[in-house]
Amino acid sequence: MGAEPRPVVESVSSYCYQCVAGPDLMKVDIVDGIPVQIRPNGEAAAIHPAHGKVCVKAFGLIQKTNNPNRVQTPMIRTNPKKGRDEDPGFRPASWDEALALICGKLGEVRAKGLIDESGFPRVAASFGGGGTSTVYMGTFPAFLSAWGPVDMSFGSGQGVKCYHSEHLYGEFWHRAFTVCPDTPLVELVLSFGANTEASGGVCGVRRHADARERGARRIQIEPHLSVTGACSADWVPIRPKTDPAFMFALVHYLLHEVARDKLDIPFLKARSASPYLVAPNGYFLRDPETGKPLIWDLSSNSAVPFDTEGTDPALDGAFTVSGREIGPDDEAWDHDGVQCRTAFQVLVEHIEPYSPDWAARICDVPAETIRGVARDYLHHAHVGETIEVDGVELPFRPVAITMGKTVSNGWGGYECAWARTVMAVLIGGLEVPGGTLGTTVRLNRPADNRWSSVIPGPDGFMNYPMNPTRKGEFHEASGSRHAHSTLVPLAANTPWSQALGPTHLAWMAQRHGFENLPAPTRPDVWFVYRTNPVISFWDTGAVSEAIANFPFTVSFAYTLDETNHMADVLLPECTDLEGLQLIRIGGSKYIEQFWENQGFALRDPAAAPMGEARDFTWISTQLAKGAGILEAYNKAINKGAAGVRLFGENYDHSLDPETEHGVEEIWDHICRAASGELTDGADALGLDYYREHGFRTEPFPKLRWYLYPAMVENGLRFEMPYQERLLRIGKELGNRLHEMGITWWDRQLREYEALPHFQDLQALWEHAIETEYDVKIDEFPFWLLTARSMQYSWGSNVGIQMIHEVAANVAGHGGVVMNPETAARLGLAEGERVEIASPVASTTGAVILRHGIRPDTLLMIGQFDHWKTPFADKLGTPSMNSLTPMSLELTDATGSGADLVRVAVRKANGKHGGVKR
Amino acid sequence: MTKWAIVADLGRCVGCQTCTAACKHANDTAPGVQWRKVLDFETGTFPDVHRAFMPVGCMHCDQPSCRDVCPSTATRKREDGIVTIDYDICIGCAYCAVACPYQARYRVDVQNAAYGGHPMLHEAKREHWDRRGVAQKCSLCVEIVDAGLARGLVPGVDLEATPACVGACISGALQMGDLDDPDSTVSQALRAKRHFRMHEGLGNGPNIYYLYDAKTDEPQAPEPPLVAEPVGLAAVSPKHQANWDWRAAANFIAGGSGTALYGTVIAAGLAGPVLWPGAFAALVLVAAGLLCIWTEIGRPERILNTFRNPWTSWMTREAMAALAFFGLGGLGWLFGSIPLGVLGALGGLGFLYCQGRILAAAKGIPAWREPAVVALIVATGLTEGLGLYAVLALVAGAGGAGWLAPVLAALAGLRYAAWHRYRAALGRSGAPTAALKALDAPQTGLTAPVQGVIAVLALAALLLPAGQGAVLAVAGLGAVATGWLFKLRLITRAGFTQGYAIGRMPARGSGTSGAGIQPGWSRG
Repeated sequence: MGAEPRPVVESVSSYCYQCVAGPDLMKVDIVDGIPVQIRPNGEAAAIHPAHGKVCVKAFGLIQKTNNPNRVQTPMIRTNPKKGRDEDPGFRPASWDEALALICGKLGEVRAKGLIDESGFPRVAASFGGGGTSTVYMGTFPAFLSAWGPVDMSFGSGQGVKCYHSEHLYGEFWHRAFTVCPDTPLVELVLSFGANTEASGGVCGVRRHADARERGARRIQIEPHLSVTGACSADWVPIRPKTDPAFMFALVHYLLHEVARDKLDIPFLKARSASPYLVAPNGYFLRDPETGKPLIWDLSSNSAVPFDTEGTDPALDGAFTVSGREIGPDDEAWDHDGVQCRTAFQVLVEHIEPYSPDWAARICDVPAETIRGVARDYLHHAHVGETIEVDGVELPFRPVAITMGKTVSNGWGGYECAWARTVMAVLIGGLEVPGGTLGTTVRLNRPADNRWSSVIPGPDGFMNYPMNPTRKGEFHEASGSRHAHSTLVPLAANTPWSQALGPTHLAWMAQRHGFENLPAPTRPDVWFVYRTNPVISFWDTGAVSEAIANFPFTVSFAYTLDETNHMADVLLPECTDLEGLQLIRIGGSKYIEQFWENQGFALRDPAAAPMGEARDFTWISTQLAKGAGILEAYNKAINKGAAGVRLFGENYDHSLDPETEHGVEEIWDHICRAASGELTDGADALGLDYYREHGFRTEPFPKLRWYLYPAMVENGLRFEMPYQERLLRIGKELGNRLHEMGITWWDRQLREYEALPHFQDLQALWEHAIETEYDVKIDEFPFWLLTARSMQYSWGSNVGIQMIHEVAANVAGHGGVVMNPETAARLGLAEGERVEIASPVASTTGAVILRHGIRPDTLLMIGQFDHWKTPFADKLGTPSMNSLTPMSLELTDATGSGADLVRVAVRKANGKHGGVKR
Repeated sequence: MTKWAIVADLGRCVGCQTCTAACKHANDTAPGVQWRKVLDFETGTFPDVHRAFMPVGCMHCDQPSCRDVCPSTATRKREDGIVTIDYDICIGCAYCAVACPYQARYRVDVQNAAYGGHPMLHEAKREHWDRRGVAQKCSLCVEIVDAGLARGLVPGVDLEATPACVGACISGALQMGDLDDPDSTVSQALRAKRHFRMHEGLGNGPNIYYLYDAKTDEPQAPEPPLVAEPVGLAAVSPKHQANWDWRAAANFIAGGSGTALYGTVIAAGLAGPVLWPGAFAALVLVAAGLLCIWTEIGRPERILNTFRNPWTSWMTREAMAALAFFGLGGLGWLFGSIPLGVLGALGGLGFLYCQGRILAAAKGIPAWREPAVVALIVATGLTEGLGLYAVLALVAGAGGAGWLAPVLAALAGLRYAAWHRYRAALGRSGAPTAALKALDAPQTGLTAPVQGVIAVLALAALLLPAGQGAVLAVAGLGAVATGWLFKLRLITRAGFTQGYAIGRMPARGSGTSGAGIQPGWSRG
């Protein structure tokens, strides 16, 4: 034991953005050029919501950097046959040879044309980690931008592993690509499977711990007792995928079991579409002159346009009125003296059958529990109270509802997202202090600023960049293999949209195509980075088969894995601690990442690249040069494709477009531009400054956490509760698709309801499985679910020994979690290996007994079943991904499905048998 | 004065293992070694289930049992409360590991290599050769604390003076500070919330305090209920100790039998001929046992450090008794001297007694620490020694039953009584269920029927007209075999650790705290 601290020769600043809840700012200690230790960056404590702490995943980066299993030189495939059982025969190659091979292919593509015979880009790319790859890929986005059309529809988990309905509907209703409680102020959170303590990052964990300290209450409603459930005041073990019923019953309670004046009447009247009159065909009754929706003004006892000054809109009731109703495709009805209910009245009547007693039978939760939850929600809403933020008085509504994966994607996601938002609207708690907030936008522009994205649209609502459904404007072809702009109006058509389309359709199409859509083609060149869809998607066997048919795959490879097993070229890039990059931090971003500061942080290399690994920016530059698009690439960097625009009103740090620039030179320019942006051109501190300080920020007003002030300023209403626009769009979409002869999307069209009806999702799943696989559902008696793990989620770190070691301390990792009662019934003991089979495939794993799971439910944490990734291939850990079908019937209107499948369990013979199809 | 302590707020802890990982980084611990880790507890049955996370590690106890047993004085306690290990003098006997009721100590004999084969660059760069083959545990990042203090920083307040786990904790659950300072964060936290300490009843005075509820009007946390067969709590239930294997058992076996045999030879020699070859065999037997244990320690070249702690360590005292035994007893055999033999025998008896006390001081192993184990070890040692004498007497043709038969019968009875007393005491105090099962298995062999047969056989020899020696030898062999089996089982089958316990399940936010749990334990 020495008395002195060990010598630390150097310490550099870096960030960890291995998950969507990053970045965490950190220090990397280096001894003799070797990174040896990760530490929280204490200097960031003052500007970071979690006091500059870093999550457990970051600590895996030292092993990740020095992992002997890394791919250390470019590798070229020698075996033209591809497949799991084929040895790729990778041989080491020089960078020159590998780049020449890739650029040769790219040259062929450019010669043939960037778009193939089906109208799809010949180049495709897939990135993992919910967008986090971007903060590790240097200037590669500039390469893609310079290249031209690139198909991003081959998902690595998007749509199936994300909060898809929340993303699309949340962004539509309140610029909430991700939705979060105002945790610093909230008193009560109803969490429907939101696994905040696993996936909320250090900010989420810290804020919720602080909230508990304040005496805040979180009620966790989910079929198994997750780490988040563990940290909640109460656990309500709801039956899987019955959350819509519970939420409808909450709405029912507020509308039918408490006095109306307990709700936030002013908010409902002024900030929602509740007073809008609904005409007989289900569309708003409009003023024939202006086309504006009408409301019933109680003070004048007449119908007036919604934006008439000095009105007292009626909330409840039906009124005899005249006006014009406009339906899909401009179909119009002129009404003279018809009975029209307010949208609120329609809601009240719509929700009437969905009482807590009704929901109790569906959810397997006592009605009194549901009522108690609703009662608490109303009690803690503090309706009528206000709070001052940055000198502005705002409503104070410290209650929120959060939703996890499987609740907020797939069928039922719409119902849940809608009911959650209605619950917020009823008590005036949407986008106000304490309440339900969005924290980032992705589909609206500008994407880094929620307030600026509040652009007035039709009918007093915000604008939304829907994919057009009107005749003549409709996209019969999407330019993506999953037809996102054809099938999903809400997905919009911005750079993020392809990732938010129905990504499993792209994989499914590779097998059988879809009638009356362009013939599915394989991409001529497919780039893959930081993702492993052969493990992370559903029906991984089918994905594997599709990838094996791709003619030319380029993988930016860390280690060998199940996806790059089918690649033609492996390129070793500098990993997290070896690469150089500047990223934006703070402001308001994913999940709980809303800060009181914003700015930039540097990822400064802490180690020389291992072997022949190269910085991603160098690789991108070489690809651009080799593909003959260097000038366009440099211009793309100048325009901000690498995260920062290099010129502004008072500064210009643009790169010379015609010459090749080195990695440090490029990032020095970007650093200078970042300084220019922060200071409006007052200074131009470059790479050296960020190397010394690590990050640079400016204050971000807390007021901007809330959309409400921007809505008030623009005189806008939240498009709640009645979905007239979606109803119309759905009809138009149906018309367009039918004109194309597409009827296989009809089931999805049923989601476009003005007010969602309850649908029996369990029955829907059971029916889909029975009909698609010709099985009896009783043979698969258990619902299999998954859950995120803080140690692993998004991290691409299954091959890291230390992560595996520490994750093993958290119960549930490494097997299939089962209720002891169930195990006893099946004659199974703790640790016993079992085969878990769905109609799709089977896998094997060890039984993990926990009382905190419903007897009808099984759980497999994370994504495993590896057969190639070094270290992970020895774990014998099962994953539900292999067992989950890619099914059109189980695809909702937004193009997502849910992590849910029915399985059977029986004793397994031998050790890990892997996946069998 | 200063007294460093850790406070873990269970209401805040989310079980993320960031502290575990940060500790591994800061201290370069080997794969599988976690000086700090967070346990995952669950109580209740569906649907009334609660789950909580509990950081554990070295408790830097007020009365560290690890320090008391350490023969080399490598483990010490500083004035500020930090329990330290001097890697340069530790012999790696792992006695401290079995004496720690918090399972906080490890011994690693090989170089760190997380992926096997060659160490990675960072592993090679920060290899701690001084830590190989010796005891290791949480040091409370003493280097960081001391360096911080030297710079005028405040541990627990300033990140650069704070242990890595506390500095890294993302939820703010872990705090470190000075208990003697009423204004420190830990002192304030303890005043603000209800708290418990793990295994409070063992009297070590652990210095990790667990906060579980802000409602200070609740009654003090009761002892958590024992749960004999916990479902899904294997990770926090008692596990068999992995530090002392058959070689340690061999020392208890050979040492007990050998010293008692020597004593029996000398005692018999006071009234008749001395079976000097038996004395030699006894010396060889004890030496063989010690050789076994020597091969088990991590740093055998430091064996002489065993003698450094006669004040509190029964292992040091055993070593000193061994010196007396071999020195005086060996000379007695060499010169055929009864007086020296008597002195050697007394040394041997001391050695045997020390063995009993060694086990009793192993506070981390409930089946060993039961005080009645001392009498049992002595009783079985004496019985085994007499049994061996009976066998040797037959081989040497040294005579019939005579006094031997009734004494053997009496010792068998005495041993059974000691066993019965030990087992009953263990049942009353409670022990890991698996340890009780191991002790109650038929193989343990100290039960009344088995010992009864031995006693009857011995007494029957008195009644036989011929072949008395052979019958006595058979009885003696039985006495030896059952004693050896018992000790082998005690060390290698019943040596379950204390395991962990959570005093109360924490209140989460406005929720309420609930009953805790001590998994894998039972009484009876």
